[in-house]
Amino acid sequence: MSEAVLASPELQHEIEQWYYREARMLDGREYQKWLALCAPEIRFIIPSRTNPLVDNSLRGREEMISVERELEGRDSEGLPIRDETLPYLILRVDRAFKPNSWAENPPARTRRIIGNIEIVETESDQLSVVSAFHLHWARPGSASYLYAGQRRDMLVRAEGRASGDLRILRREVVLDMADIEYPSLGLFL
Amino acid sequence: MKTPIRDIVNADATLISRKAWSDPGIYELEKKGIFGKSWLFLAHESQIKNPGDFVQAYMCETPIIVARGADHGVYANINSCVHRGLPVCRADHGNAKSFVCPYHSWNYSVEGKLQAIPQERYVEGKIDKAKLSLKAVPRVESWRGMIFGSFDAEIEPLEQYLGDQRWYLDAFFERFTEGVEFVGSPHRWVINANWKLPMENQLGDVNHGPFLHAAVIPPEANAEVFELGHSCVTEPGHGATFRLMPADSPLESVAWGFEGMASLLSPEVHEYLREIQMRAEERVGPIRSRMKGLTYGVYPNLSFLWSNTAFKVSHPRGPGKVEYWSWSVVPADAPEEFKRILRGNHTAFFGPGGILEQEDSEVWAQQFIGSNIDFADDRPYFYGLGLGEEKPHPDLPGLVSVTANEFYARNFYQRWRDALIAVEEA
Repeated sequence: MSEAVLASPELQHEIEQWYYREARMLDGREYQKWLALCAPEIRFIIPSRTNPLVDNSLRGREEMISVERELEGRDSEGLPIRDETLPYLILRVDRAFKPNSWAENPPARTRRIIGNIEIVETESDQLSVVSAFHLHWARPGSASYLYAGQRRDMLVRAEGRASGDLRILRREVVLDMADIEYPSLGLFL
Repeated sequence: MKTPIRDIVNADATLISRKAWSDPGIYELEKKGIFGKSWLFLAHESQIKNPGDFVQAYMCETPIIVARGADHGVYANINSCVHRGLPVCRADHGNAKSFVCPYHSWNYSVEGKLQAIPQERYVEGKIDKAKLSLKAVPRVESWRGMIFGSFDAEIEPLEQYLGDQRWYLDAFFERFTEGVEFVGSPHRWVINANWKLPMENQLGDVNHGPFLHAAVIPPEANAEVFELGHSCVTEPGHGATFRLMPADSPLESVAWGFEGMASLLSPEVHEYLREIQMRAEERVGPIRSRMKGLTYGVYPNLSFLWSNTAFKVSHPRGPGKVEYWSWSVVPADAPEEFKRILRGNHTAFFGPGGILEQEDSEVWAQQFIGSNIDFADDRPYFYGLGLGEEKPHPDLPGLVSVTANEFYARNFYQRWRDALIAVEEA
């Protein structure tokens, strides 16, 4: 992970406010509005989290137990939980507004807290941002669940766009799960 | 009060008690009569290519290490130290020289032989280590790279057990010049359901598709299932469903891989899938090249989802919990970039984040809730659709019918019932 660059207070504020608005949109089930935040080239990835064999040659070093070693399917290797482009996300959003999407009828009630927002890199019109989230999920007839994880985002600011008008170019969601006991990983994280 | 199994499933299996899915006593019988007596899928050989490669697996609730030995053979052992019972391997997969128990460092070869007891040199008596191997799965056999294990040393050979179901499985496997590859690690997730419902769902129940999945599956795809769908049972407990496409169908409407979005996302993948189909008749013959698969089941808990290309195992964790494993499958000789795009046909639609599978998990969990309603015991579930309408077919092995006929399920539960009666009365 790269060291955080010192973002100006104005930029930090703009990005934080953007994440809060996005969270409010998702918890308010305004997925059609959220879709407009996705860049046409978006990649949305949830890597699998596996339990790899300890590599003895790494003993004594931080790499031995690095989170990265547990992630599978981020790019071409192995099998991710999800690896989607815009057409897949459109399909998910369409589904959410049909009465026969039974896994969400009635829909889950979610509330997510986005925190630890760090702008780790800025390059021309792109910002690399990591953040952490806790998402509370509850649905009538089901238990409630806590999802925890990290987002690794690449946001893009199109030329001439106003402050706060950003698009998601890439989102990688690292979930802090051991076994997957969640009812669904199909939600917008 | 225990209900005899004869009263759980009626003679023609058109009525099945809710207890079949919810009763802890029945689950104990299943462990012995089903999971102790069947061939259970473990892994695919593409996952353990080199000596020392291993993956974890389960046979019912029993943890298994499947490894490639120094002699290139496949070894399956119970992941439990003979000294104090701890797992000797904690990783999901990897390449190991040996497995070491954390408690006292007893050391086993990847083939399962006990190699070293560190405490042995401090005592006088010598220990016969040859008698203290990890408990081996007594029977391990492969077919088309699919590795199965059985706890029953006397079980019939795997190929005989699969029987004519191999003809249907080969309609898929034999399309690919170099066979298939299982991509990376399986998705594995927990569903609060009974293990038989995910199995039954893939065994032949394609008829829930147009209804449960109507939010996603377009009406024309559903019409194809109604008009061209076939359901085949070669032996009770196995099942295969597919559409038999007319001979003059456009190539894209028959070929494997066009369901899902991979072909839309890449013109190169589109062309690659066309080429596979163009070779299909030569490789699998005139009938099977027109088969456009839906779902398959292999008794007791393996299923194959042709349309979105996944093999799945429903591992029970008690009557009301399943650990569901799902492997994404691609042609072994596909370029890496194509494999990445093709795996999306599986991950976007199935698995724990799947657009379609989330509806399935939902109803399987709801069925388990319904199966626990005591005051509806006099309303066993109705499995009678299409009773007796299945018939032999000139071109297809087994008994064949329309997909709305629930004979695949009746056959499964008759085999299930007979297997449980055998242990109940033993």
